[in-house]
Amino acid sequence: MATDRVARRALDLHHVTVSYGPRPALLDVSVSIEPGQLIGIIGPNGAGKSTLVKAILGFVEPDFGTVQVFGEQLSRAPRRIAYVPQRGAVDWDFPVRVIDVAAMGCYGRVPWWRRLGPSEHREAEEALNAVGMLPYRDRQIGELSGGQQQRVFLARALAQGSEILLLDEPLAGVDAATERTIMRVLRNARDQGRTLLVVHHDLATAAEYFDRLLLLKQRVLAFGPPATVLQEDLLNEVYEGRLRSFTHAITGEHEAVSE
Amino acid sequence: MIKTALAWTAAIVAALLLGSLGISALVGRDLVSLWLEPWTLPYFHKGVVGGSLVAVPCAVLGCLVVLRRMAFLGDALSHAMLAGVCGGYLLMKLAFGAEAHIGGMVIGAVIASLITLALIAFVSRLTRIKEDTAIGIMYTGIFAAGVVLVSLLQRHIHIDIYHFIVGDVLGIGDSDLWVAAVVGALVLSMVVLFYRQLQLASFDRIMAAAIGLPVVLIDYMLTTGVSLVVVSGVRMVGVVMVVGLLVSPAACAYLLCNRLATMMVLAGLFGVTGVIGGMYTAEWFGTSGGGAIILFVTFQFLVVLMAAPRYGMLSRWLRLRRQLPQDLIEDVLSGILRAKGISPTLEAIRAKVAQPGGQIPRVLAFLEHESLVRRDGPGWALTDEGRVEATRMRRAHRLWESYLHKTGVPDDQLHDHAELLEHVNDPDTLAYLDQILGHPERDPHGSEIPRPVPVFEHPVPLRQLAPGHRGQVAVLAPAARGLDLSLGETVIVTAHADGSWTLHRETGGDVICDDEMADAVLINVVQRAQFA
Ligand SMILES: Nc1ncnc2c1ncn2[C@@H]1O[C@H](COP(=O)(O)OP(=O)(O)O)[C@@H](O)[C@H]1O
Ligand SMILES: [Mg+2]
Repeated sequence: MATDRVARRALDLHHVTVSYGPRPALLDVSVSIEPGQLIGIIGPNGAGKSTLVKAILGFVEPDFGTVQVFGEQLSRAPRRIAYVPQRGAVDWDFPVRVIDVAAMGCYGRVPWWRRLGPSEHREAEEALNAVGMLPYRDRQIGELSGGQQQRVFLARALAQGSEILLLDEPLAGVDAATERTIMRVLRNARDQGRTLLVVHHDLATAAEYFDRLLLLKQRVLAFGPPATVLQEDLLNEVYEGRLRSFTHAITGEHEAVSE
Repeated sequence: MIKTALAWTAAIVAALLLGSLGISALVGRDLVSLWLEPWTLPYFHKGVVGGSLVAVPCAVLGCLVVLRRMAFLGDALSHAMLAGVCGGYLLMKLAFGAEAHIGGMVIGAVIASLITLALIAFVSRLTRIKEDTAIGIMYTGIFAAGVVLVSLLQRHIHIDIYHFIVGDVLGIGDSDLWVAAVVGALVLSMVVLFYRQLQLASFDRIMAAAIGLPVVLIDYMLTTGVSLVVVSGVRMVGVVMVVGLLVSPAACAYLLCNRLATMMVLAGLFGVTGVIGGMYTAEWFGTSGGGAIILFVTFQFLVVLMAAPRYGMLSRWLRLRRQLPQDLIEDVLSGILRAKGISPTLEAIRAKVAQPGGQIPRVLAFLEHESLVRRDGPGWALTDEGRVEATRMRRAHRLWESYLHKTGVPDDQLHDHAELLEHVNDPDTLAYLDQILGHPERDPHGSEIPRPVPVFEHPVPLRQLAPGHRGQVAVLAPAARGLDLSLGETVIVTAHADGSWTLHRETGGDVICDDEMADAVLINVVQRAQFA
């Protein structure tokens, strides 16, 4: 009975602690995520959002705690998670074209002795098409706008065909049109039953974009439907008064014109 | 594509011809003997073949070294070798009585390189000493150990430190060729077999780990490969210059292409041309072979750096010179923006733009490439992105002009200053200007300041908006008629508690709505809540 329940969960984190030094980036993080949801991870800079993503991917080893994917240990389920990196973490001068990046989505499925075949290339092209980037297939990735770059990496994640998608700030610095495209693609993926965890920086849109929000600052401070997470006093405490306009808007004060 | 390739070949042939004419005059040999005579010399053959056997795998792995920013590591590995070569020499001599056993020396060198790597990793990970310093200490230290060892054991070990430092292409023997061939075959088959793994682990380590690739093992494989090619390269060009063989051809290729596989092939080619060019130079001027090869490889790099079609200096300079004036781009965008309803033709755009219009077709081509405009029948239309961009540019320019006017800049200088400042146009900055200017409708010249393009395509019910959103009231459905709001006025969503929504009107005063009213007020959002 109990194992049945666990197996239905997409992700299970138990007491995950990750540190790079004396102060842990993540402390005692336990959270269970049901499949088929679009989840936003919010929290201030340095809260450990990227670290959480890396821990779920198995790229950083927790000092303590476990990550389970569909009830299995992470190391036995490598292909079930796909990932879209934070913009700053990519070398945009790297000699790869749009189509090459999308094709990387198939690497996990093709054994090392086999070459990529026509079916893989077709899948890569389909994934590019789904995000509207097929016309740019032969461009080097540095020659795209920020939003287009995000979409290419999104296509790569789609081509992986994984049940779980992790995205680190996919909407940072993209224009409104791209934001709509990306959100449409994410919702589609969710509607097909995939589970998505999206690191998000914009509290203003968090409520309308996500089914559940996870408020993180070293620890999980809240996890649930947006309305229960976006509590004013909780946010003010977490962001330590850095929500400038948020408070401004609430008090109706504006900075005086300074000459 | 074919045309550029032909042009390039023609340019190279012309350069070779001119160059060799000059050199034949310089060294007093006719063209035929200049080019063909060296091939009659056995050491020249061996140098070219051996050099290429070394240069190709060096250049191919060099691509990964360049992309992973490991060049300094290559340097460290080559220096560390000396101690390993001594160790291998000594061991083989003591154990088997073999003098200068090449296999023993190669294996010793690789082991020494790996020990150096381990020491570097150890020091930089476990102490506050950073990696570059750790590399500096370890490789000089181990190199020095080698130097001391060689001079201490002079009578037992016959290693010529001078050749070790500057290499000796002209003295390549058969055993060196064998080592180079085996190393080359090993390294190249590794790259071919594990191309995808090497590519992904270099490009996106996190994804590589996430799909289950053994990234640490791949690192070790790569560094072992690098130390192997370095070991075989030192024989030709010496400890100091082997890094040039590793990174220069790769850097040339990096400036010329967009794919790792192509880069590797090109780098290999540059390695071979480097060796051939270097061997000729050495032969013509009677200089050191290793020096000439590295000199030629560097020369190649400088030529490519100047002339590369896309990433080179020359094309950069041409691009800058040819660069389309920003104000013309803006004029074209806003010209299309102003032509409401119809998509203006080239002529119509020309008529709208107040400047000489010769460059307008190129501006349009550029904008199309950036997917800001698209062809629409005989005319041109803005894409979604183009509309946002056009509005934002115009708004930025006019807000800056208003701001400058306010700070007392004379009217005749407004435009020039605003021209510079309009590129500072991120949404936060514009919102700030707008706010301190009191949300002006018109700029100092009386032109309208466009509002930002709505964030969402359609008006959004207040009920869906989080506090902080700003926008204009677009629709007031019957349920909201009683509210003190008028169409088009600007409001900010200031608070939201259970069943109660507060709107702050920019003209002053707050309006409170219940759930039902909040569904009936539709707002064109122009600005999201901003969080610093
Ligand atoms: N590789 C690293 N080495 C050392 N400290 C790190 C490293 N990566 C992240 N950190 C630290 O861990 C904390 C969390 O970082 P991160 O997960 O990137 O936060 P976020 O993505 O929420 O901004 C920060 O204090 C950061 O400085
Ligand atoms: Mg981050």
